[in-house]
Amino acid sequence: MAEESFLTDDFLRQLMNVGEVDILVGLPTHNNAKTVGSVVQTIQSGILHGFPRDRAVIINADGGSRDGTPELVTGISIDDMRPSFNLNSLRTLHSISTKYASSPSSSVAMRTILAAAELLRAKACVMMSPESANITPEWLSKLLRPIYNDGFDLVTPTYRRHKFEGQLITNLVYPMTRALYGLRIREAYSPEFGFSSRLGSQFLAQNVWNDGTEGAGVELRFTLAAITGKCRICQSFLGEKDSVERRGADLVPAMRQTVGALFSAMEPDFPAWSGIAGSQPAPTTGADQEVLLEPLRVNRKRLRSMFSTGVVELESVFQSILSPSTLAELQRIALLREDDFHYPAELWVKTVYEFAASYQKSVISRDHIIQALAPLFRGRAYTFLMENRNASARDVENNIEGLCLEFERLKPYLLQMWEKGK
Amino acid sequence: MPLNSDALWYKDAIIYQVHVRTFHDSNRDGIGDFQGLEEKLDYLQELGINSIWLMPFFPSPLRDDGYDIADYNAVHPSYGTLEDFRKFLESAHDRGIRVIIELVSNHTSDQHPWFQESRSSQDNPRRDWYVWSDTDTRYKGARIIFLDTEKSNWAWDPISKSFYWHRFFSHQPDLNYDNPAVQEQMWNVMKFWLEMGVDAFRLDAVPYLVEREGTNCENLPETHKVLKELRRKLDENFPGRMLLAEANQWPADLRPYFGDGDEFHMAFHFPLMPRMFMGLKLEDRKPITEILQQTPEIPSTCQWTLFLRNHDELTLEMVTDIERDYMYDTYAQNKTMRLNLGIRRRLAPLLANDRRRIELMNGMLMSLPGTPIVYYGDEIGMGDNINLGDRNGVRTPMQWNGETNAGFSAAAPERLYAPLIHDPVYGYPAVNALRQHASEHSLLNWMRSLIAVRKSTGVFGRGSIQFLYPANHRILAYVRQLGNETVLAVNNLSSTAQAVELDLQRYKGNILIEMFGKNMFPRIGDLPYLLTLGPYQFYWFRLRRI
Repeated sequence: MAEESFLTDDFLRQLMNVGEVDILVGLPTHNNAKTVGSVVQTIQSGILHGFPRDRAVIINADGGSRDGTPELVTGISIDDMRPSFNLNSLRTLHSISTKYASSPSSSVAMRTILAAAELLRAKACVMMSPESANITPEWLSKLLRPIYNDGFDLVTPTYRRHKFEGQLITNLVYPMTRALYGLRIREAYSPEFGFSSRLGSQFLAQNVWNDGTEGAGVELRFTLAAITGKCRICQSFLGEKDSVERRGADLVPAMRQTVGALFSAMEPDFPAWSGIAGSQPAPTTGADQEVLLEPLRVNRKRLRSMFSTGVVELESVFQSILSPSTLAELQRIALLREDDFHYPAELWVKTVYEFAASYQKSVISRDHIIQALAPLFRGRAYTFLMENRNASARDVENNIEGLCLEFERLKPYLLQMWEKGK
Repeated sequence: MPLNSDALWYKDAIIYQVHVRTFHDSNRDGIGDFQGLEEKLDYLQELGINSIWLMPFFPSPLRDDGYDIADYNAVHPSYGTLEDFRKFLESAHDRGIRVIIELVSNHTSDQHPWFQESRSSQDNPRRDWYVWSDTDTRYKGARIIFLDTEKSNWAWDPISKSFYWHRFFSHQPDLNYDNPAVQEQMWNVMKFWLEMGVDAFRLDAVPYLVEREGTNCENLPETHKVLKELRRKLDENFPGRMLLAEANQWPADLRPYFGDGDEFHMAFHFPLMPRMFMGLKLEDRKPITEILQQTPEIPSTCQWTLFLRNHDELTLEMVTDIERDYMYDTYAQNKTMRLNLGIRRRLAPLLANDRRRIELMNGMLMSLPGTPIVYYGDEIGMGDNINLGDRNGVRTPMQWNGETNAGFSAAAPERLYAPLIHDPVYGYPAVNALRQHASEHSLLNWMRSLIAVRKSTGVFGRGSIQFLYPANHRILAYVRQLGNETVLAVNNLSSTAQAVELDLQRYKGNILIEMFGKNMFPRIGDLPYLLTLGPYQFYWFRLRRI
């Protein structure tokens, strides 16, 4: 039986009216009325400043907002801004919106946007977050120009972040992705990125939409697909990333989106990553990554206590995931006094690799595996905070680099664990 | 065919713009003349136009193609005599064709006897007929129009040892309209031609008549006062005659030239024209609808004049910088095509000789609100010669046939006032009136049919307009309405086929009659009206409730 179309007739009609475009901006939303207005205005401004001659459309895929988000997206006219920004558009600037049938899902939203990009034959596309409080019009050019002018397929962002922000990225996603796939992409999982129609169509055709993962971490999987598909990838520095956006995110859902997606991809991608040793930098425009040093309040005590409690309470789970030596070492450090507590890089890397191998073997429910990693990550986060408490920006970067090298160095250990599970 | 007696005749006019020099040479001197033009009136009548706008034909040193007049009350000897003009005028009127002539009122040639007297001494009685100054620092707020050639609006006169004011070329001194004698003299000039039977004047460069310190010397109230007085005299003495303003301004600045229906009858809509080209290239109706939205209402007796191309460059003064850059990059990549702030090209080459685009642009010209002007030769798709200087590349001889000198003149080819177009695509062997006359599907015959359909209803010349804004932005659609008559025009600006859904609920129950083939289209029902259009296709539908 043919698969039912996931695009509504009304959405198709809107796409038909837009016709072929040069620039497509994807905007997945769900109850973002507070922020989406200014984001759309900034996007429009970015299009008019950076691409005044090009055919452009903003595609909003909405997960059933009840706060009027889609109406805000389509209701904002560039004419409202013209007097204040002295903007002059040559063309009609389209904003269209569709509500997809299922419950809010970044995967469905992305699939909808990718399908629209293919149907409209967009030359260059960009995904934007509806919550980006720090978005500037230049972000559009920074993410689109390398695709539009230089033939890149994927442009991932780099940001100016606080040194303790985004620890899941710096302690796990970035170093592990880098070690696995051999390419140094700082923000492989980001709500903002640019991509070519070629990559969009390639990903759209992949069997990631109905593979049982419910599209978790689709943005990360998109990046990984670009790497394994031998696409041209670069990074572009966007500036400061608003920390508010991610602060509210709970750890476990965030891990499902990132670590879960990464672990899931490892099995199909095995031929691509298993032979890679070391890593190469990705071409980068602007700064590689900038670190801010002003104070950020973190409850360190709670991190450590959740680690220790987790090690005790989840012992039986860990027994099926971790090697005896790794578990023993974790149990040892769990008993250390606060001042002496230290979760060393090597132990952390081995922990993560053993979790990845167990994920592949599905020793227990895959979701439970991801949940079980959460308290251990908190322990590692505590160590990262302590190690970098007084560190300069350069020191922080050096420490992250050291961790990355440890992930690369221990990659044979991962392969060993992986093979053992077969 | 007598002239129709309607005082608002200009609303139904279809104007053909021609320079007598370019059209047909009857006396073998290589220069077109009034006898030659008269001989070709049958051609124009067959084309369907009902007004001719003649570019300046007065005695002149011809340093600006006749816009530098040396005698307002005579005909340049190259073009014939006053008697020849009179005969041409009568013949045109006999065919129901009205004649519009130029009144270059802002300035004269520096060879005009008025200026020669004025410069001869400081106390000459005509000294104040022009704008003189001891310094070149007055009126600093006035822009320089011919940027490519002029550095200042003041020129030094070595004879009277002072500066004179000129808004255009330095050999074109501006008349001083603060002097009542100048105003009176200009009315005498008008009277001279009106008494002969001329139907209308195109007043050249009207925004610049009066100068005032601290202003940009454009569109000043004092200028409007002068113009209103001329109009008053015209209505009083010659009812039914018409004044057409050439004022290259934004619509809001143009509006005062209509006054309360007591200044100009018509004015060129300069900003619309480049936006039609822009909309076509962008495949987006936005530039067109945007400028028409900004166009103010005008008194009921007044009318806009629309054109695609004319004897000047495609002016880009009334566009933004970003729009001008876009126009240059898309329509004049070769920099020799650019002149001042514009593009010196004819219609067909601008549109890459694409018949579909030429038809669409003419379709819009004939269906948007206003009186259309067809520039001579564009009805057969004539090309241009960008190697000729200034704007002469779009002023080459009319191409009548594929024979010697394109049938324009029996003179030796080297005596022609300008070389013919010879290139393989636009040259006269390929593009000429005779050949197109014989070909049923030629551009010429299509233009005749277009004009005939336009003239079949008063709605295009006099009707209201309501834009439809279908979601497909490549489609420019509007409803023209006059009394019980309603016409729907739908234009596909895109190079690809398009589907469009039109909200025609207001007209539910009507059937659509396509105006060229007179075929019936389905009745308007409850659903949006679905149309498909081929690349650059347009439809005109008459709405009928049967």
